[in-house]
Amino acid sequence: MTLDRRTVPTEAPEARTSEAGSATSDRTGRTAESGAAADGHPPARPDGPFPPAAALAATLAALAFAATLYAWLRGGGSIDLPWAPTLGLRLHFRLDALGALYALLATGIGAVVFLYSGRYLRLHLSHQGRPARDERSFYAFMLLFTVSMVGLATAQDLLLLFVFWDLTAIASYFLIGFDRHEAASWSGALMALLVTGITAVLLLVGSVMLFVAYGTFSLPEIIAEARPGPALTVAAALIALAGLAKSAQVPFHFWLPNAMAAPTPVSAYLHSAAMVAAGVLLIGRTYPLLQESELVLDGMLVVGLASMLAGGLIALTRERLKQVLAYSTVAQYGYMVALYGLGGAAGAAGGAFVVAAHALAKSALFMVSGAVTRASGGEERLGRLGGRWRTMPVVAGAGALAAAALAGLPLTAGFFKDELLFKAALEHGPVVTALVAAGPVLTLAYIGRFWGRIFLGSPKEAPTGPRSLATTLVAPIAVLALISLVFGLWTAPLESLAAEAGSVSLGGEPAGLSVAYHLDARATNLIALGVYTLGGLLLATYPRWLPVAQAFALVALRFGPERAYVSSLRQANRLSSALHRFEVRDLRRRVAAVLVPCGVLVTAGFLATPTLGQYEVGPLDGRDAPLAIVLALAAAAALAAMAPRSQLVLVLVLSSAGYSLAAVFALLGAPDVALVAVLVETLFALLFVAVFSLLPGGVLDREQSLSVPPSRRWRDPLIAVVSGLFALAVVWGTLSSPVPRGPRISERLIELAPAAHAQDVVTAILSDFRGLDTLAEATVLLIALAGVGGALSRARSS
Amino acid sequence: MTLLVSVVVAIVFGSGCYLLLKGDLFRVVAGTVLISNAAVLTLVGAGFTRGAAPIRPFPPGSEVSDPLVQALALTALIIGFGVTALLLTLAARVYASSRTVDLDQLSQIEATREDELEEAEA
Repeated sequence: MTLDRRTVPTEAPEARTSEAGSATSDRTGRTAESGAAADGHPPARPDGPFPPAAALAATLAALAFAATLYAWLRGGGSIDLPWAPTLGLRLHFRLDALGALYALLATGIGAVVFLYSGRYLRLHLSHQGRPARDERSFYAFMLLFTVSMVGLATAQDLLLLFVFWDLTAIASYFLIGFDRHEAASWSGALMALLVTGITAVLLLVGSVMLFVAYGTFSLPEIIAEARPGPALTVAAALIALAGLAKSAQVPFHFWLPNAMAAPTPVSAYLHSAAMVAAGVLLIGRTYPLLQESELVLDGMLVVGLASMLAGGLIALTRERLKQVLAYSTVAQYGYMVALYGLGGAAGAAGGAFVVAAHALAKSALFMVSGAVTRASGGEERLGRLGGRWRTMPVVAGAGALAAAALAGLPLTAGFFKDELLFKAALEHGPVVTALVAAGPVLTLAYIGRFWGRIFLGSPKEAPTGPRSLATTLVAPIAVLALISLVFGLWTAPLESLAAEAGSVSLGGEPAGLSVAYHLDARATNLIALGVYTLGGLLLATYPRWLPVAQAFALVALRFGPERAYVSSLRQANRLSSALHRFEVRDLRRRVAAVLVPCGVLVTAGFLATPTLGQYEVGPLDGRDAPLAIVLALAAAAALAAMAPRSQLVLVLVLSSAGYSLAAVFALLGAPDVALVAVLVETLFALLFVAVFSLLPGGVLDREQSLSVPPSRRWRDPLIAVVSGLFALAVVWGTLSSPVPRGPRISERLIELAPAAHAQDVVTAILSDFRGLDTLAEATVLLIALAGVGGALSRARSS
Repeated sequence: MTLLVSVVVAIVFGSGCYLLLKGDLFRVVAGTVLISNAAVLTLVGAGFTRGAAPIRPFPPGSEVSDPLVQALALTALIIGFGVTALLLTLAARVYASSRTVDLDQLSQIEATREDELEEAEA
């Protein structure tokens, strides 16, 4: 599959929709050697010493992990600093169990992924012919992401949550779009940003609703005071929606498969342990509010189940490695959302447990897919792989462990993730249990297919990649897979952390969580056995079921929410182009676009002010005769300016209007203004004449005769008369308003002028009282005149 | 007096608007000159007091014109001058590059160029 190298970002929707449909999820394929310009820098070399940037990032993340772990074992802690005290905003962070769980995941998995990135990214860059220095921005944004996640995990203030929420979206945008020369890459980045960014506004709206109701953004305070009611339900639903979109739940899930255009370490981090986890974190953090409403809980259960089933079914049909894992992530976060929707102690604590168990397994699996792809010269289609256990036994082994953990097989942490789900579902009757059990069945089938098609069978093509993989590409996978195994055998640490995190989500109530193996015929064990049987059967016979799943995937992709996204983006583009055509291309419309709203605003203000109806004619006696005469002259000159066809006459008429007004100013007791007006008018006249001297004679005459279509012959004078009458009403109303009583600023200025050593009060105001304004004004004037000089000199030379 | 000033402002503003709607760039510039003149006249006319120039020593017994509006009017004049001068030279540049200052022709030229650019990209 090939993708054009498009250079104009606004064409993203076209680039995407041209292939919408069955190919949607496979669009993220590489365009090998698509030739990112090296900008004169040599392309990265796949070998050589371990990149220092990766080492630094991994060290920082590992230190942050150690610090978080230490702080948590010492009993947590909190930071509470004033931020914007007048708004009641505080920088309030607390390392409670929920925060510690997510902060440990973000920093711990972060450290492992950074280690993995070092070698992977060099291979990736050298494969694309890009210089090694491109990796700097990668680590910068990955670290920004880590910091944002830790901030998000520990923030106790809704606005602070929102800030970190958006920071994660921004970092993810740059990370998904890391291969900036590929259309799929930045259209995927844009999609992730838009879907999670627009729904982030819902979080803000929900937060503001809570602020209005409770007078604070502080979550602990809101939780302490929260009373169920429609307002709380709406706010909770909005916040839950933001969380669901971030966790790639149906119907917002489509951004995640498209985000697979990111380099694999990004997916291993953001799309398994961090970015998508942020949504569930938000749900866990605001759960005391969400669980006040049965409606919100039921909604989450439905969304969770739908994601579980749809994600699992589509994952079964995907051909590209990362696409399988992406839909698997959708399905697995469906587990957590369903658990929170099921509610109660089992749900809240179970949700926290599943997050950790899933993150370990999924991160490892993403790294497996990256290692396999790199070792196969960029091949990432299941159909072209096979038999890889011979060349990479360690990856195959670690991958098997991780896949077992994802499928919930015993002896891994994943076993308990399924058991907790069943336990919570059993409290809600057989129908829910059956639906919930379908998720793990599908999981077993698609992850079994994933692992088997890569590592078993016979190789379809001879591997073209490097013969042996670097240790730093393999070790991180093994580490995460082993941790999954360790937590499957030694359950206490994860169990207690998840139980305490669940207790935070329940607003302080203890959330009992017993995680242990029982070799008896209890219900959860029976369900698990049933799941293994069905899953195994499905795996063995899946080619027979594949058409069904494929039909479902086809319909879901063709008529799913992604289509709505694409078409709304296209509509927005079309609207913007139409506005552009209407407004920008024609100067008159551009002017109208400014003046008409101005007129509407002034009218509104005018109608709202009580001066309406207070028009006064004003005294006029014999001494004002000269003033009246020059005013009449100015008006006459202005009227005359509409007629002339010759350039010179136009200039002369304009100048006479200006000079008449200067005389008006002189007679109104404003000699300063009059002097400046004379000066400005003279300069104007000279400038007009100078410019017209550059044009051939009769240009204006020609234009005048050319450009009056009959339709405009009456329109323009009409608009002019209406705007003149409008100006009359506004100015007359303004000038008629009575002189206010009490001290006026002008009197004070007149009194103060001697202190500024000025005889002329206007001068004192300009050069002293408002000296800074005048300085800025002079700067503006200088810039404008520099532009005039430049344009004139070039006009003459051309 | 109030009415007279208002009427003159209205006439100058209306003429400016008329020129602004004209089909060529130079009349548009002339229109902005008139409109900014109308604004300056409004400002000066909005002074609360009218009388002698606000320059010391004030003539005994007469009122002093409001100095604040004069300062504002001066600012408006100067900025208006800068903006209009720039507009005028830009219009001259447009003529130099397109050989016309007719707005309809200009927008046609612009549309053609844009289409060419889009074609070149595609």
